[in-house]
Amino acid sequence: MANLLWLQGGACSGNTMSFLNAEEPSACDLVTDFGINILWHPSLGMELGDNLQRLLRACVSGEIPLDIFVFEGTVVRGPDGTGAWNRFAGRPMKDWVAELAQAAQYVVAIGDCATWGGIPATAPNPTDSTGLQFLKRQKGGFLGADFRSKAGLPVINIPGCPAHPDWVTQILVAVATGRAADIRLDDFQRPKTFFASFTQTGCTRNMHFAYKVSATEFGQRKGCLFYDLGCRGPMTHSPCNRILWNRQSSKTRSGMPCLGCTEPEFPFFDLAPGTVFKTQTVMGVPKDLPEGVDKTGYIKLTVAAKAAAPKWAEEDIFVV
Amino acid sequence: MGEEAVRRRIQELLAGGLATEVCPRADTPESVQGLIQRLREEAGEDLEARLVLAGFTLNPVLHGGIEQACETCMYYLVHRRWCELPELNLPVEPRWSCRLWRI
Repeated sequence: MANLLWLQGGACSGNTMSFLNAEEPSACDLVTDFGINILWHPSLGMELGDNLQRLLRACVSGEIPLDIFVFEGTVVRGPDGTGAWNRFAGRPMKDWVAELAQAAQYVVAIGDCATWGGIPATAPNPTDSTGLQFLKRQKGGFLGADFRSKAGLPVINIPGCPAHPDWVTQILVAVATGRAADIRLDDFQRPKTFFASFTQTGCTRNMHFAYKVSATEFGQRKGCLFYDLGCRGPMTHSPCNRILWNRQSSKTRSGMPCLGCTEPEFPFFDLAPGTVFKTQTVMGVPKDLPEGVDKTGYIKLTVAAKAAAPKWAEEDIFVV
Repeated sequence: MGEEAVRRRIQELLAGGLATEVCPRADTPESVQGLIQRLREEAGEDLEARLVLAGFTLNPVLHGGIEQACETCMYYLVHRRWCELPELNLPVEPRWSCRLWRI
């Protein structure tokens, strides 16, 4: 049996909604099949008031062994470092986070806000929000760059806005069943099993990407969304087109450009007007090129691919 | 007017000396958005106005060491010889150029 505690900081509850919709395994499977004891969760926990405070204090003291501490949302440090803008169970949430992270065998950050600050930490970051171990791309965050949980691991980051439910439950199962050592993390402490590939990996528009045929308006089923509509699929690490959403589809499959929500910089360009759903260019060349591709190579490839594009690539092949 | 006839008309206008705004090129996201806005508000369906604002030329413009020809532009449909930028939406030739070129 592994005890799990889930708390929310500066959050919209989106990751909780995602988690509750998990299918493989489901949230119920965690309890019935994988021996996870959910001590408390904002949407599932029964304790309130004094009872909840007692539970939390027991986790901090070790009276109740805390195996997995899951945090969703930012750590709010404002105003003036007090954390008073996000109080929970009688004190600033940040104080609970600091103590529970020290008590836990494993700490798991769910969603962009908990991993690197997400939208709340976007400039000018009025609540002085941060992720658990990163603030955007900078390592450190609330717990500090050197933080290790009792089991010796840094915070396990499962980013996304929200994180896919199965990424969450599969990692929780791995940790709860003693296979945490098998989880390899990348430089941003994301499990490589999910975040080594790209959103573009498995995208149904890859043929259009290859032949440099662009979608120029929303709703077009032909064309790649990268060239004009701001899709970040080629630069974003996520398995969104391998582990489909609702087991059905993905943003890019349904014509929605990837917003890059598993990357530390999300939301990109601080949401300045004209930067969302529009590929940013400098002298006609995209500012952000597919990972590992330089400007010269990109131009050469584009010229050759466009010249070779077959007629069907310029048409809608997904006809009813 | 059919696509080929419009293409010929554009050719005649440009060859006949239609003064288009070739420079400055739309080098930044802000200048691209500004031009798109002008195309929507000032040009609409007016063919000549679209050509003028977009800075069409009958030959590729070399800018920043890159030849900006329609045939390499992301809005160009090779087989239809067509510019698919919604605000232009014109028949073109591969060796023409405009300042909204992007790759």
